Amino acid sequence: MDSPYSCNRRQRMVGRRDFLWELGGGLGGVALAAMLNEAQAATGPASRNGLHHAAKAKAVIQIFCPGGLSHVDTWDYKPELTKRQGKPFDTDGKVQFFASKPGNCQGSYWPFRQHGQSGRWMSDLFPQLAGKVDEMAFIHSMQSKSALHGPAMFMANSGFILPGFPSMGAWVTYGLGSESADLPAFVVLPDPRGLPPGGVINWGAGFLPAIHQGTTLNSDPLQPPLQDLFPAKEFSHLRGDAEKSSRDFLGALNRAHAETRGANSELEARIGAYELAARLQLSAPEATDLTGETEATKKLYRLDHADIGTFGRQCLLARRLVERGVRFVQIYCGAENTGAKKIRPNWDSHEDLVRDHGYWGPILDNGAAALLTDLKSRGLLDSTLVTCTSEFGRQPAAQGKGRDHNSGAFTAWMAGGGIKGGSAYGSTDDLGAKVAENPAYCYDLHATALHLLGVDHEKLTFYNNGAKRRLTDVHGHVIKPLLA
Amino acid sequence: MIRLPALALLLLNAAVLGAAVDFDREIRPLLQERCVECHGPKKVKANLRLDAKARAFKGGESGPAIIAGQPEKSPLLQRLTTTDEDQKMPPKGAPLTAAQVAAVRSWIEAGAIWPENELERAASRDPRLDHWSVQPLRTEFGQAKSIDDFVAAKLKSAGLTLSPEADRRTLIRRLSFDLHGLPPEPERVERFVQDADPKAYEKLVDEMLASPRYGERWARHWLDIAHYADTHGFERDQLRPNAWRYRDYVIDSLNADKPYNLFIKEQIAGDILAPAAPPSVIATGFLAAGPWDFVGHVETRSDVLKRAARAGDLDDMVTQVMTSTMAITMNCARCHDHKLDPISQKEYYGLWAVFAGVKREDRTIDATEQNRYAADKNRLAKTLSDLNSQIAQLSGQGFELASLLPTESGIDYRTGKITKEKQGYHSGLPVNTLQKVDQVPGVLAIFVPDGKGTVMVAANTPVKGIPATNGHTWDAIANRPLNAQESTKLNGTDFKTKGHTILGMHANSGITFDLPKLRELSHQRTMRLTGLVGFGAGAAAANSRADFTVYVDAELKFQKLKMRKNETAALDIEIPDSAKTLTLVATDGGDGIGSDLLFIGDPKLQMSGAETKLTPADLKRLTALRAEAKLAEASLAKLTEPAKVYAAVPQATVAVIKINRRGNPEDTGAEAEPTAFAWAKHAPVAFGGNELPEGDRRLALAEWITHPENPLTRRVIVNRLWHHHFGQGIVATPSDFGLGGDRPSHPELLDWLAGEFQRNGWHLKPLHRLIVTSSTYRQSSRTTDTKATNLDSANRLLWRQNPRRLDAESLRDAVLATSGKLDLTQGGPGFKDFDYIEAYAPIYNYVSPDKPELWRRSIYRFIVRTTPHTFLTALDCPDPANLAPARMRTTTAIQALALSNNEFMLRQATHLAARVEKEGGNRSAAIRRAFALTFQREPLPTELQAAETLVAKDGLFALCRALLNANEFAYLD
Repeated sequence: MDSPYSCNRRQRMVGRRDFLWELGGGLGGVALAAMLNEAQAATGPASRNGLHHAAKAKAVIQIFCPGGLSHVDTWDYKPELTKRQGKPFDTDGKVQFFASKPGNCQGSYWPFRQHGQSGRWMSDLFPQLAGKVDEMAFIHSMQSKSALHGPAMFMANSGFILPGFPSMGAWVTYGLGSESADLPAFVVLPDPRGLPPGGVINWGAGFLPAIHQGTTLNSDPLQPPLQDLFPAKEFSHLRGDAEKSSRDFLGALNRAHAETRGANSELEARIGAYELAARLQLSAPEATDLTGETEATKKLYRLDHADIGTFGRQCLLARRLVERGVRFVQIYCGAENTGAKKIRPNWDSHEDLVRDHGYWGPILDNGAAALLTDLKSRGLLDSTLVTCTSEFGRQPAAQGKGRDHNSGAFTAWMAGGGIKGGSAYGSTDDLGAKVAENPAYCYDLHATALHLLGVDHEKLTFYNNGAKRRLTDVHGHVIKPLLA
Repeated sequence: MIRLPALALLLLNAAVLGAAVDFDREIRPLLQERCVECHGPKKVKANLRLDAKARAFKGGESGPAIIAGQPEKSPLLQRLTTTDEDQKMPPKGAPLTAAQVAAVRSWIEAGAIWPENELERAASRDPRLDHWSVQPLRTEFGQAKSIDDFVAAKLKSAGLTLSPEADRRTLIRRLSFDLHGLPPEPERVERFVQDADPKAYEKLVDEMLASPRYGERWARHWLDIAHYADTHGFERDQLRPNAWRYRDYVIDSLNADKPYNLFIKEQIAGDILAPAAPPSVIATGFLAAGPWDFVGHVETRSDVLKRAARAGDLDDMVTQVMTSTMAITMNCARCHDHKLDPISQKEYYGLWAVFAGVKREDRTIDATEQNRYAADKNRLAKTLSDLNSQIAQLSGQGFELASLLPTESGIDYRTGKITKEKQGYHSGLPVNTLQKVDQVPGVLAIFVPDGKGTVMVAANTPVKGIPATNGHTWDAIANRPLNAQESTKLNGTDFKTKGHTILGMHANSGITFDLPKLRELSHQRTMRLTGLVGFGAGAAAANSRADFTVYVDAELKFQKLKMRKNETAALDIEIPDSAKTLTLVATDGGDGIGSDLLFIGDPKLQMSGAETKLTPADLKRLTALRAEAKLAEASLAKLTEPAKVYAAVPQATVAVIKINRRGNPEDTGAEAEPTAFAWAKHAPVAFGGNELPEGDRRLALAEWITHPENPLTRRVIVNRLWHHHFGQGIVATPSDFGLGGDRPSHPELLDWLAGEFQRNGWHLKPLHRLIVTSSTYRQSSRTTDTKATNLDSANRLLWRQNPRRLDAESLRDAVLATSGKLDLTQGGPGFKDFDYIEAYAPIYNYVSPDKPELWRRSIYRFIVRTTPHTFLTALDCPDPANLAPARMRTTTAIQALALSNNEFMLRQATHLAARVEKEGGNRSAAIRRAFALTFQREPLPTELQAAETLVAKDGLFALCRALLNANEFAYLD
C-alpha cells in the first residue's frame, strides 16, 4: 500500500474518510467508522486479512529486554568459548569495546542443554522457556548499528539509530489500525522500575500521526491504567451525574457549533473522540482488572512474587489486551540505568553478570513461558506473534565479572502466529563475538513480523521531509526459513 | 602485436594517415546498436550513458569513458579489448569485430570528435534541472499587483470566487492567535468591533505586529524547524542550562524585525561575522539546537563509536541548515546520490566539510569579557601561587605525597601493587573494600567507594559522608597524569613541569596514608596538608561533576561537592599530631565517572612545626602572607564566569571529511571539500579546498544561502509564513521543495511575494502585513459551497480561509490567558515544570502544574528531549528530535482525556471560574464573561439557558471546564 497521506493531503485533513483514518488509526479505522455510522466496508477486510496478503497473525506481543541480554549465557550455545575459558580473547591487543579492553574468554555462566524435539540448546538460566523451544524460532545472527544503549534502543524499535522515527508498533497500527472499539491499538507496558534507555521516544510515532504512538499503560494495580483517565483525587466529585451533565452540555455546545460549520468534519471527529474517551473510562479499567482471572492463571504468572510477579502481571495484561483486540503490545523487561543500585535495573551486566542476569533470568523465564502457555491454552497463540529481543548482545570476553556491549551479535526469538517452532536462522562465530552466517538486523525481524501480519514492509510507507519512509529503511528481508 | 585483418589494417592506416573516422557514419551507429540499450535513456548501467556527447564524456561510476587522443587509456576501448570476460563489453551478443574496435581506437586517437546533434542536447539534459523550485524567480507578473489578484484569477478560471469577509470577532480572534498565539482580551474585541475607522483592521495589525507577543509566537515556528530543546537527548539526557539564550535571540530578532538574510547568516556564522557582538555569537545556537549523544561523543572509549556519533552529528547539522533555509533534503545523499533530487553524495559530504570544524558545546559569548575574566583569574591564581610558594619557603618545603610512589607509577586497584601500566575502565571491582598496599611505605590502603552508608577507610576507621557513586573507576591512583588525561594545568600552573608533582585520582577512588609512618619519613611532626585539586579533562567535560573529600582519622575535614571542570579546590588542612590516618577520596558527582579525571597538584605535607623555630619577624611575615593568600583565594572564588550559550564552537583543528561509502564512517572514500550543491545555480558552489579556514567555510555557505539570486531561500520563507497564516502553504511541503515535495498551487504568487519580500529589505513584518490585510486572508472559513467543495475540497485555490485547530502551545497559553493566570515575563532561563534528579541517565519527573512560576508562555518552557511533556505531546507537540515544519493535527481519545482530566486543565478551569465569578458579579453576568473570555462572543439565548441550568446544578467550574474543552475554544474560524 501507499501512504494514505499522499503528498498533497498529508498536512491537513479534509474529507471525512481521512478523519476516520486518523481517528481509528490507519486503514482499519473500522471501529470508529462503525461508531460514527460510517459504512466503510472497503477498509474492513484489510485489518482482518492483512494489507497486502493474507495475515497469519493479527496481533503482536513484543518483549523487550533493555540493557543488552547476553546471548552467550542464554540462547546461543558456544562450547568453544567454554573450552577457551581464561585464554586471551584479543591476542594483539587492538580491540576496544564500548567501555573496556577485552578480558579473557569467559564461557557461559550457566550450562547449556538440548531441549524438545527440535533439540535446540538453551542455558539453565531459562528452565521454563527451555520447555518451549519447539514453539520458538531463533535468530542467532542479529546485529545492531550501535553499541550504545540509546541509539541501539532506537534502532531496535524504529530501524534508525537516531530518535524521531516511528516505532514498529506505530507502523503496525498505522498500517492495520485497531480491532478494538474501546482501547488504543498500540499499548506499552514499561517496567515498573522505570522507563527504558531513551524513554518514551522508543514507542513514539515519529513523523506518523500521533494517534499511532504507543499508549503507556501503567501496570501498577494501585494506579489508574492510563494517564488522565480520571480527574485527580481532588476532583473526584467529577464522576457520575456531575460528569454526565457536563458532558451533555459540552456535546450540545459542540453540535451547535458544528452545525454552522458544515464543511469541517474535524469537528465531528473531535466530538467522537470525546465519546471514545468516555468509553475508555470503562474499558481500560475492565481490561486491567485481574480479579476475574482464575487462581491457576495467577499462579502461572506468579503474581504473588515480588519481582517475578511484576513482570508476570505485565505479561498477563498483554494477553488480556490482545484478547480485547489491541493490535500491538510492547512489554519492557528492564528499565533505564539509573544511579547505583545493588542490582542493575536492566540486563546491562558490566560488573557482575551472575548477579544481574541471575536476577533478571527467572523474571523473563517465568513471564514469557507463562505467556506462551496461556496464549496457547486459549487458542490465541496461532493469531498472536510473540517476539523477544534486546538492543544488542554481550561480549564473549570478560569485563571483570561481567561482559561489555556487543553490537556484533545477539539473539532474538519469535513464537506464535505463523512461526515455525523449533527453527533457527543464522549463527555466530565459535566464540559468539560476531555473526558468521546469514547476518540479520532488526530490519529483517521487522520485515518478518510485518509479513506475518499481512503487510509487505516495502509497501508500508509514509512521506516525510523529502523521502518515502519505511520501518525497514532501504533494507530488510522476510526470514522465510522461520515461517510455518 | 595482435594480428589484424586487412580491412582493419587499412582503417588503422587511414587513421595514422590522418583520415579521420567519420563519427556519424561509423561510431554513432555502433554505439546505438551495441551500447545504448544498457547505457542510454532506458537503463543507465554504471551511471554511464553513451547516447549523448555530454554524458558520454562525463562518464559513469568509474570516471570518464573517453579520453580524447588516448585510446589505450580510454575505458571505452579497454572494455572492448579486454580479455577479462567479466569486464568485456558488450556483455551480450557477438563481440565487436576487429574492424569496429579499430574504428573506435582511431576515432579516439584522432581526438574523439563527436558532433553533437539536437536530439543529444536534449537527451543529455537532466530533466530534474528544470524543476520549478530551482528556476530563477519570476519578476514579471502581468496585471497582477496584489495577493488577491493572483488568488482571484485562479479562482475565476475554476468558476469560483473568494468568500465574503469574516466578521470582526472572527477576524480579531484569527489574527490574535496567528500573530500572538493568544486570544484577544474581550475589551479589545469590543473596541475593534465598535471601531468606526475604516482602517481599524490595519491599525489592529500594526498594533499586534509591534507587540513582543509576536516574536514569542513566531519563534515557536522557527524553533520547530531547528528542533530546539534544553537537554541533549539520547541515553544520558543532560541539561543544557545555557541553550535558552539562543531561544531568546530568535524571539528578539523577530520582534526587532531583523532582516531575514542577516538572521540566517548570523545563525550559521554569526561568530565569524561579528565576533564582538554577543547576539551574533548567540545566534549560532541554531547549529547546536538538535540532539547530541553524550555517550557516543564523550563517554565511550571506542573510536568507532565516536566516529559514528560524529557522523550522526554532522548529518543532523547539515540536514537542519539545508531544510530550514532552502527546503532541500540533503540527507538522502548520505549513502548514495540522492534518488529524487540531483544532489550527489560528494556535495552532501562537501556540506559536512563546511561544518567539520564546529562542535556543539557551551561557549563564551563575549570574548572581551571572557578575556578579562581569564586575565583576572590568571592574575589571582598567580598571586596565590606566589604567596603559597613564599609560605612554603618560610614554613619549609613540605613532604611530597605523590613521590611516595615510584616515578610514573600507579597503584593497581585490583591488587594494591605498584604498576607501570596505564589502565582503563574498571567496573565490577569490589566497592568499599580496602585493598592493602604493601609496596608503598606511608600508604596503608586504597579503595573504590560507592558512598553507601559507612565506609571503612582504615582498620577501625569508619567514615560517613562519602557521596553516593556508581562504584566504577578508571586507571589507577598514580604518580603521573591519568590515562587519557588531557590537561595538567590548574589555575595557570602546569603541574607537569619541573618542581611540581601530580597525584592522579580518577573518580571513584580513595587512598589512606599512614600518618605515623609519614612523620617518620618526613621528620615532621605537626603537619598540614596542602595541594590543589582539579580536573585534567578536556572541554567536553564542561558539565561533568565530581567531588573531593578529605578525612583525618574518621573526621571529615574537607569536602567539595559537584565540582565542575573549570573549578578547583585548594587544600590547606591542619593535621593534629595525634592523628593516625589521612584519607583522600575522589567521587563522581552523581553523574557517572565519564570525565572525572581528577588530580591533585603538589600534594604535600607542610611542616607546621617548623614555624615554631622562625624568628618573630618571619613569623609575622608568614601570618601576613597567609592572610594575603586567604584574600587572594576569596577574590578568586568571587570571580563569576561570564555568560555562556550552548552553540557552535570552532575547533582548533578541522577534520578532513571523506565520503562515507554507503554512509558508513568506517568505509571512507575520496576527500570532500567544502561546497554547496550545484542544483541551485545562482552562485559558485565550491568554497575552496580543505585549507580554507573553518570560519570562512560557514561564512561562504551563509552567503550562498542568502544570495539575492538564490531561487529557494526567499521562496521557502514566504511559503512558511503563508503556511502558518493559512494552515497550508502555497507549497504544501514547507521543508521539501525538491522533486518529492509538493508543487506550488500559485507559483506566480509565490514569486511575487518573494519579490515584495526582497523589496522590503527581507523584513518579515511587512510580509505578514501584506498577507493578513489581503481579502484572501480575511475571508470567512464558514462558507459551505458545494461546487467549491466538489472542485477543490482541499481548498488549494483558497476559496475560503481554512479553519484551524490551535497547536499544543497556543492551547496551553490560551487556557492561561483565559483564566487570567498567564505570566507574561519575557526571556531568561526556561521554567522547569519537573523535578530533576541527577543520575547516570538523569530523571525528569513532572510536577504539579498548579504553580504560578509555571504559568509563563509555553515558549519559555524548559524542553526535555527524552521525557516529553505528556499533556503537550497528546496535543501533537512534536518530538524535538524531529525537524517539524508543520504540526500534525490528530484527533484522539487520549487528547480528550488530557483536556478533560489533566490537572492543569482542571486547576485552570477552577481559576477561570473564580475569575468570572469575581468579574461578573451575578450568575448570568459570570456566564457571559466566561463566553467572552473563551469564545470572544456573547452566549446565544439557548446557550445561556443551558449554562444557567448547568451552573445552578454544578457550579461555574463545570461550565468553565466545558468551555475550555469545546471545539469553539480549540478551533479558529
